[in-house]
Amino acid sequence: MRKLTFLVLLFVILTVASPVYAQGGATSSNWSVPIGVGLGMGLAAGLAGLGQGKVAGSVAEALARNPGARPGIQLALFIGLAFIESLVLFTFVLLFLRTS
Amino acid sequence: MPEQLWFTELLNHYLGAPVAALLHALGIRPEYPQAPISNAVAMEVLVVLLLLAFFLFVRARMSVDKPGGMQHIVETVEEFVAEQAHGVIGHGYERYVPYALAVGYFILLANLLGLIPGFESPTASPVVPLGCAVVTFIYYHFHGIRTHGGHYVKQFIGPVWLLAPLMLLIEIVSHFARILSLTVRLFANMFAGDMVTLAFFSLVPVLVPVVFLGLHLGVALVQTFIFVMLTLVYLGMAVSEEH
Repeated sequence: MRKLTFLVLLFVILTVASPVYAQGGATSSNWSVPIGVGLGMGLAAGLAGLGQGKVAGSVAEALARNPGARPGIQLALFIGLAFIESLVLFTFVLLFLRTS
Repeated sequence: MPEQLWFTELLNHYLGAPVAALLHALGIRPEYPQAPISNAVAMEVLVVLLLLAFFLFVRARMSVDKPGGMQHIVETVEEFVAEQAHGVIGHGYERYVPYALAVGYFILLANLLGLIPGFESPTASPVVPLGCAVVTFIYYHFHGIRTHGGHYVKQFIGPVWLLAPLMLLIEIVSHFARILSLTVRLFANMFAGDMVTLAFFSLVPVLVPVVFLGLHLGVALVQTFIFVMLTLVYLGMAVSEEH
């Protein structure tokens, strides 16, 4: 009985609440915009993922070889990741500016 | 009228008229004359007030013999930043730690404020990170000039005289790109974090968005660390003696 109540409650929340927060009105009828946004963001995120994976892999290797050098390696890790990530964020901001 | 948070409403109620008059005197036309203070500015003011109250509290209870919990936290943060500064800048790093700490505390609290319902991150609007980035830019150039005097220009023209015009152009562009990258990195991270939480909130309004709030907490800490570290790295490059 408890389970049923829970399920009904969940169903009600999911079906009733979602339209409340839905964005209203399609502003752009240009079909190429969503495709372009998807492709651009996907490309940026995927390629940055490749780059960051290489960074993380190298850091793991370096730490395995010389655990004593942790502070320097961590500094390089964070700054390297920040620079790679900021390229994705540039893409994100540009797409956001162009579409809204 | 834009949507206002309660603190913005409070500020606009008491300070709206003088601020509008001041903006008018400066020749600036606010978008909404009834509410000249935007959410971002109000949240910034709140962050500054909170920080002031916190540090006045800690300063009043400071003691050498029996340090309290708050004092331990503040000292730990100070030691951490000083250690990083020592690693990056090297000799004479003590002078730059206060600035790095101030900007770090401001950004940290500004990032974390967005996690509390009823508030929003001032850093999720591009103006606030831009301010921090411009202040950092001016600060490290000021210290570069203070340390090297006229020889500071040598950092921009490189070792080869023939290539000097080209190097100067590239260096100037790259120094201004630092403002852009500092701004966009902080702004876009905070903004994207809010957006992701909102997107999942509109898909599944129970429990799932909490995961992304947790992620946002991590992002807020890491972005503060990166902003402070980059400030220190730029300072270190500006005041280093090798050039």
